[in-house]
Amino acid sequence: MARRTIFYVGLLLLLLAVLFPLYWVVVTSFKTTRDAFAIPPVWFFSPTLENYRTVFANRGFLSAFANSFVISILSSALAVAVGSVAAYGLAQQPGDLRRSKEKFILSLRIAPALLFVIPMYYLATRIGALNQHWLLIAAYAFVNVPFAISLLITFFDDIPKELRDAARVDGAREFSVFWHVYLPAARGGMVATLILCVLFTWNEFFVALVLTGRDTQTLPVSITSFLTFQGIQWGALTAAATLIMLPMIVLGILVQGQIVRGMTLGSVKG
Amino acid sequence: MATAASDPTRHFFQPIIVCLTVASVALTLFVIWISLHDLSLMRAGREKFVGLDNYLRFFGDPRAMAALWRTVLFTTLATVVEIALGLAVVLFLDRDFAMKRLVRTLLLVPIIMTPVVVGLTWRFLFDPATGMANYLLSLAGLSQVDWLGSPQLALYSVLIADIWQWTPFVILLVMAALESAPTDPLNAARVDGAREWQVAWYVLLPMLRRALAIVALIRAIDSIKAFDLFYIMTRGGPALSTETLNYYGYIAAFTNFDISYALAIAIILTIFTNVALLTMYSVLFPKSGER
Repeated sequence: MARRTIFYVGLLLLLLAVLFPLYWVVVTSFKTTRDAFAIPPVWFFSPTLENYRTVFANRGFLSAFANSFVISILSSALAVAVGSVAAYGLAQQPGDLRRSKEKFILSLRIAPALLFVIPMYYLATRIGALNQHWLLIAAYAFVNVPFAISLLITFFDDIPKELRDAARVDGAREFSVFWHVYLPAARGGMVATLILCVLFTWNEFFVALVLTGRDTQTLPVSITSFLTFQGIQWGALTAAATLIMLPMIVLGILVQGQIVRGMTLGSVKG
Repeated sequence: MATAASDPTRHFFQPIIVCLTVASVALTLFVIWISLHDLSLMRAGREKFVGLDNYLRFFGDPRAMAALWRTVLFTTLATVVEIALGLAVVLFLDRDFAMKRLVRTLLLVPIIMTPVVVGLTWRFLFDPATGMANYLLSLAGLSQVDWLGSPQLALYSVLIADIWQWTPFVILLVMAALESAPTDPLNAARVDGAREWQVAWYVLLPMLRRALAIVALIRAIDSIKAFDLFYIMTRGGPALSTETLNYYGYIAAFTNFDISYALAIAIILTIFTNVALLTMYSVLFPKSGER
């Protein structure tokens, strides 16, 4: 009995350590400035939506929301469309060829973003493409395609080979096997891949910091604007932070089984 | 039957692989070309060839050397602490209890949280006057600490945020490996009268070796490239005390506009990353070397 009590106390401490920072940010977003900075901290207070009003009155933040939405959906859809075609082809290859291509795809993900962001920025300034949405959509599609390929291969591998062989015997052409057999069978995996790409793109900061202009700022870049003017507006900042992360936490929990799989990709098989 | 050469499935991946190959080769050549010139964003179009000057400059640049050392320190500490702490939690949670699924879901939250928001959250908690961290210290009767304002401490404060965000990832991955591992050896050891710590050390740990090695590699790659937390929490300060190599590369390119030097830094960082990974790989997977 004593051991069990100790276990549950330990579990409680663990969850407290994991969740408290998140809880504190969300709670602060509903406090007045006075409550937010009271020492000792105020645990019970009458909530206010004042901070959310400030955030929604900020036109820059609203347009950043739209930008993040459009850029992450379009670049992810592009990556999944391109990636599923490539993954289908690779999944049918014999071991050696396939492994060498997979290694190449994996190696694209080790290089620091600095390496491709600087030349892209340089070229974009010369052709005046900074401040255009397609630049970011292209950059993120380029980042997401290798990821989508390696994740989708694992889903296509789960589809029994007999399905393809049967369709081939019936005289189906390769493309119609892909379109009518594999895509429907891997629908769940495709949705999970799409969601993971959206999640990464939505959360991504470095590429966005360099390649966005005034009209294309995404949320993580836009929120840093609360940091500079006359100190830090913590109230509005925590409200904005809550709005940014909430949709991703919901999406993430929807595909929770795939997240660890997605993040360790390729390396698991070694 | 179609021969391998005319296999239609090849047409599915070849165009994309060719595109990716062409793009990465072109990019690599362009990056090397820039790093051998003295290209600046301030005076584009008037660059001249300078050979290896940017690389030589790197090794004579005390700020770059300090950043390199800091990157090594941060990466090592982050990887070691996250693995050790994660493993400890996995062993602690390795039993059946109610709400295990819920705990797993909750552990996911830091991983999928926007890194910029994680940085802001910890900056908020570490606020010297009104932050929770100092309030807890005062409750414990300890003196106040300037978490992000002191050059001796700031790097470790960022480290805490990194540990908070990524230890759950280690936990979830190792947990999954533990659950797919066979339970027979564990029970056999227990029947033979081994103590719990002996079971953990001699049976469990060797079984988890592969999963731990993989997660260590992943965490090392990501920590070398860490950027978001540093940008949000300290901007490389105070007094450059949290400037990593990746961050210095960013500053060189977009504050000093010296993109040739910045790319030389990025190339050195890439080489350095690969060497470190290969070394780690051969240490962690010694068998694959023997064959």
